[in-house]
Amino acid sequence: MRVCFLGWLAFLLPLSALADEPSTAGFNERFEKKVRPVLAERCWQCHGPQKTKGGLRLDSAEALAKGGDTGPSIVPGKPEESLLIEVVRYHTDLKMPPKGKLPEAEILELVEWVKSGANWPAGEAAAAASSTSTAPAKPTMPPLNDPFWAFQPRTDPAPPEVKNSDGAKSPIDRFLLASLEKKGLAPAPPTDKRTLIRRATYDLIGLPPSPEDVQAFLDDPAPEAFAKVIDRLLASPRYGERWGRHWLDLARYADSNGMDENMAQANAWRYRDYVIRAFNADRPYDQFLKEQIAGDLMPSSDDEAVRNDRLTATAFLVLGPKMLAEDDPMKMEMDIIDEQVDTVGRVFMGLTIGCARCHDHKFDPIPTADYYGLAGIFKSTKTMENHKVVAMWNERAVPTRAELDASEAHKKEAAHRKETLNQQVKQVESELLAGSRDRLAGALELARRPDRLALIAGFLQQPQFAGFTTLTSLARIKHDREALAQFEKAAPPIPKTMGVEDRTPAHLRVHLRGNHLTLGEEVPRRFPQVLGGERGKVTDLARSGRLELAEWLARGDHPLTARVMINRIWLGHFGEGILRSPDNFGHLGDRPDHPELLDWLANRFVESGWSIKAMHRLIMLTSAYQMSTRNNPDAALADPDNRLLWHYARRRLEAESLRDAILSVSGELDPTMGGSLLPTKNHAYVNNTETGGDLNYNVNRRSVYLPIIRSGLYNVFQAFDFADPSASNGKRTPTTVAPQALFMMNDKLVLRCSEALGKRLLARSDLDNPGRIRQLYLTAYGRPATDKEVDRAEGYLRRFGTDLEAQGVTADARPLRVWQAYCQAVFASSEFLYLD
Amino acid sequence: MNQHWMAAGPVLSRRDLLRSTGGGFAALALAGLLGEEARAEGVDPRNPLAPRDGHFPGKAKRVIFLFMHGGPSQVDTFDHKPLLTRDHGKPLPFAKPRVVSSQTGNLLASPFKFEKHGESGIAVSELFPEVAKCVDDLCMINSMHGSNSRHGGALLELHTGSDTFIRPSMGSWITYGLGTENQDLPGYITICPNLSHGGVNNWSSAFLPAVYQGTPIGATGVPSDQAKIPFITNTTTPRSLQRIELDLIQEMNRDHLELSGPDQALEGRINSFELAFRMQAAAPEIQDITGESPETRKLYGLDDEATKNFGRQCLMARRFAERGVRFVQVSHSYKWDQHGGLKKDITRNALEVDRPIAGLLKDLKGRGLLDDTLVVWGGEFGRTSTSEGTDGRDHNPHGYTMWLAGGGVKAGMVHGKTDDYGYYSVEDKVHVHDLHATILHLLGLDHTKLTYRYAGRNFRLTDVYGEVVKEVIG
Repeated sequence: MRVCFLGWLAFLLPLSALADEPSTAGFNERFEKKVRPVLAERCWQCHGPQKTKGGLRLDSAEALAKGGDTGPSIVPGKPEESLLIEVVRYHTDLKMPPKGKLPEAEILELVEWVKSGANWPAGEAAAAASSTSTAPAKPTMPPLNDPFWAFQPRTDPAPPEVKNSDGAKSPIDRFLLASLEKKGLAPAPPTDKRTLIRRATYDLIGLPPSPEDVQAFLDDPAPEAFAKVIDRLLASPRYGERWGRHWLDLARYADSNGMDENMAQANAWRYRDYVIRAFNADRPYDQFLKEQIAGDLMPSSDDEAVRNDRLTATAFLVLGPKMLAEDDPMKMEMDIIDEQVDTVGRVFMGLTIGCARCHDHKFDPIPTADYYGLAGIFKSTKTMENHKVVAMWNERAVPTRAELDASEAHKKEAAHRKETLNQQVKQVESELLAGSRDRLAGALELARRPDRLALIAGFLQQPQFAGFTTLTSLARIKHDREALAQFEKAAPPIPKTMGVEDRTPAHLRVHLRGNHLTLGEEVPRRFPQVLGGERGKVTDLARSGRLELAEWLARGDHPLTARVMINRIWLGHFGEGILRSPDNFGHLGDRPDHPELLDWLANRFVESGWSIKAMHRLIMLTSAYQMSTRNNPDAALADPDNRLLWHYARRRLEAESLRDAILSVSGELDPTMGGSLLPTKNHAYVNNTETGGDLNYNVNRRSVYLPIIRSGLYNVFQAFDFADPSASNGKRTPTTVAPQALFMMNDKLVLRCSEALGKRLLARSDLDNPGRIRQLYLTAYGRPATDKEVDRAEGYLRRFGTDLEAQGVTADARPLRVWQAYCQAVFASSEFLYLD
Repeated sequence: MNQHWMAAGPVLSRRDLLRSTGGGFAALALAGLLGEEARAEGVDPRNPLAPRDGHFPGKAKRVIFLFMHGGPSQVDTFDHKPLLTRDHGKPLPFAKPRVVSSQTGNLLASPFKFEKHGESGIAVSELFPEVAKCVDDLCMINSMHGSNSRHGGALLELHTGSDTFIRPSMGSWITYGLGTENQDLPGYITICPNLSHGGVNNWSSAFLPAVYQGTPIGATGVPSDQAKIPFITNTTTPRSLQRIELDLIQEMNRDHLELSGPDQALEGRINSFELAFRMQAAAPEIQDITGESPETRKLYGLDDEATKNFGRQCLMARRFAERGVRFVQVSHSYKWDQHGGLKKDITRNALEVDRPIAGLLKDLKGRGLLDDTLVVWGGEFGRTSTSEGTDGRDHNPHGYTMWLAGGGVKAGMVHGKTDDYGYYSVEDKVHVHDLHATILHLLGLDHTKLTYRYAGRNFRLTDVYGEVVKEVIG
């Protein structure tokens, strides 16, 4: 969507003040012989009847008079002030024609023509005008009062009446049932309890239920047994690690910059931990949104944790991938702003505002002016420390009171030690002076020199000073000085986060065709007109406008914010949103399958005080969520995409859940929360595991804590369709490709964990092999093994063992090898990877 | 097979495509087993990697891209500038660009001699004595230019067409357009790529389906004989035992599928395990070069310490190309950045690649593969004809040289010109977008029609730019 007509395409030539006076026949002849052919041959291909690149035509007086979008570029009579001449001379960045410089003679003719007033023979206007009107129709921007549903306020629909009201546990079900009934379809029956708790557990915490959790649920006959399970899962700190990760996909979270220069973003993890905390705390979504866009500008809080969280939240605006080595700092800055505008638009509003950088949006009512109105807000925001090569992003200090105190105390102590040391130096000096009047001159000289201590030491090493009392003091000074340097080095660090702050506010001018070298009219900082109208203007012009933007987005009556987020929550539970293009609610996006349900849910979301956890409960306590995945040939024929939700769609585990499940089932998972596993220093280049670099993924922490390296994603993530961390992404698309099978067969994580699991099972001396097999089924699949499965597994263990024996593997080494291979097969099975 | 599925009419959405991927794996496995025969009959068009016809018949069937990371100097290699020698030490007689990466001084003559070679009489510097012997097979483009003066931006522009956004790489587009001819191997392989300057983004499929992303084999710093496909080797379990294990997995998966009812993804998964098992056998076989004759090894310089690493990469490229891999990139990594030490370092670089490249060209030609294999040589930009320090040159995207060979390009010709000092491209300029358009054209793909719908609009490798350089097409 973001076509950027950068470079020479941006070349726009408005030709103003073309003299309309009668020209002499002599001039006309010269024009026809020397000027028109040059224009025709060299320019019209792009600036004529076929194409009007840069909005410019150079083939008639009228077209010339109309010009392009920039200011005057031909000054009749003054070729040296005319852009046309500049560009054909190849003097500026814009060089025309782009394929090669004109011969000198042709340039000279153009110069002469301009010098003589740039006259054009009269009487050719009509032809040009008529040819303009035959231009093929292109998509154009809809009007600003576009009646498209997504730009309208939410409705307040009541749940419809349904025939089979027994099948409706919740109002949500009535919306869904009504559509199914209209098509003559029935929903799938409820799934069994084992499947349900496995589904819900992976769904909310990204891990398998333990056999004990399953058993407790089976043993609980209460009607609210499932609600209890949901509450237990929502209260687990594992919840934030799972749902925070969904948000990190949107925030294009990464621990390195990627793009051209892969510098470590060594403080990014604080944002990740903030997101996990916010989800665990059920931070109201409106507040969560505001913190990320304008946390630094929200009313100050005495609570340092709140203050630091808010500063950290604004890392959202800084995390994007950037071209850090761009020789043109203006381009770098505008590209970074573009990334911010685009991300904010997609994440919070489901709009592709980035499209309007170079031209009015072709499908949604977002004119270029709106883009630059929004971009001005980020132009007024300090995102970068500098735009040098290699550039550095902005960071802010986030110390706790204790850390600040420790730092102050350390500084104080350092100052104190320095002072003491200085006293000692002075004393030695005076002793030295007193002891040797002869050397007064030398001492005076000494006193002026910064390195006097070293010189004194030099003196003292001379034999005549041996035994001098000062010598011992001097040795002490030397020691103390070194100690002081050490002490200063050991200053407790002040933690920093990536984050933004306001800077001198400014409006931006429209960048014609997205090019920072061709500027149009200035636009006041504001929000998209189709959504805000007059209300959407930044009023406090002394500030960036970020806080106002955040507050505007977080309004309960914003047409998009609540709809977009509730759709994302729904998607998290069903694998698809009610609207299936979660990042595009515009004309080119999908349409909601149940528009009334979407609005009903969005209303409940706002009413709940934007509580995401309340929405999980609301959605999971429906018949729809608790349906079986069972296939129904008739329904599959009528609705192959399951848009009406006639069954629960089977889902593949995401990369993180797969890895975490393997660690968890094998008993290896380390539940430590938070902190950084990135060994690289801030803003230093990150290496990758492939090159034997410094990253180590062979750890047992949850996947959410593994470093996300943009130009070298952990290959397990890569293989299992992890979201590209270079762009905001609201939906991952699972693929089924051979490298995934290769991973299951050969990766060291799988081999290591299957061996650990094998060891654990073998250590269960209370169990025989069938008992171990049954235990494994309960742990890995959450269900008991059938007799047939136990028999098959036993047969496999025997056969594998026999083969190992044939290969000469010793008897004591065999059991573990056999069990390792069997556990690996369980990990590699579809049942382990898929959720019913 | 059927109408090319992206030639005309509505383009398959990513979702459509992925939906078909699952079921397609049955066909995919079949295609691998039946090989040529299956292709002639037409494999399942839903297989996203099945070989497909382009928009029109193209001479080239595959590409080998020899990438010289760092930005090789054109005026010291393939763009002979006598005036630069004459005016050594004088100021550049015209303005330098507005944006430069470092400040440079006056004109710096090339320390290397140029001589005309072959029937075409194309001048090549003494740095490339072996490639010079192949000059009649080369199509030299002396008028390349790009938009970015930094490695990262320029690499991304060269590989993906964009130095601003993450976009699918050229190899991904080509694999998307044409599929690949060997279903037991990845369709797009990059040998020993560098992880800096865009890293994986230089071979990623971005928003194209992941099946089109490049498979890296090794990386910079990994000796090319150690370079392997990820997860391809199992060091602990012998193949026969792995087969037993696989049989169990497949049996369990089939049971699961039966219980679940028809499900394309589950079915696809079963087939993907068989494919993986076969890939495991096929890939090492290709990487094992023991079967190559002593003459061939010598041709690629495997007998010489200086040339053996890159020579092996080139030899692997031929082996992959020979087996139908659609796009193979070979990287001579990040050594061509001569801000200083020009004379010494560029001599070493050229020594490392000259014989292997000439060997590859001769070997392809000898096997009749050069006709339908397009070889592309070049870096992310060239270098200034003015000096940085006393013995260095700065980045220069405004005029530099790349060359093509085989695959239907005109042989023994020079296209385009830089100015008298080799600074700016001035005649028949070829932008990176034009190069992309031309490469696609040679493969039978129309760069304006090879599109993919993403975020509501059709994307192309060349964005809204690019013109096919017709003059270089034979």
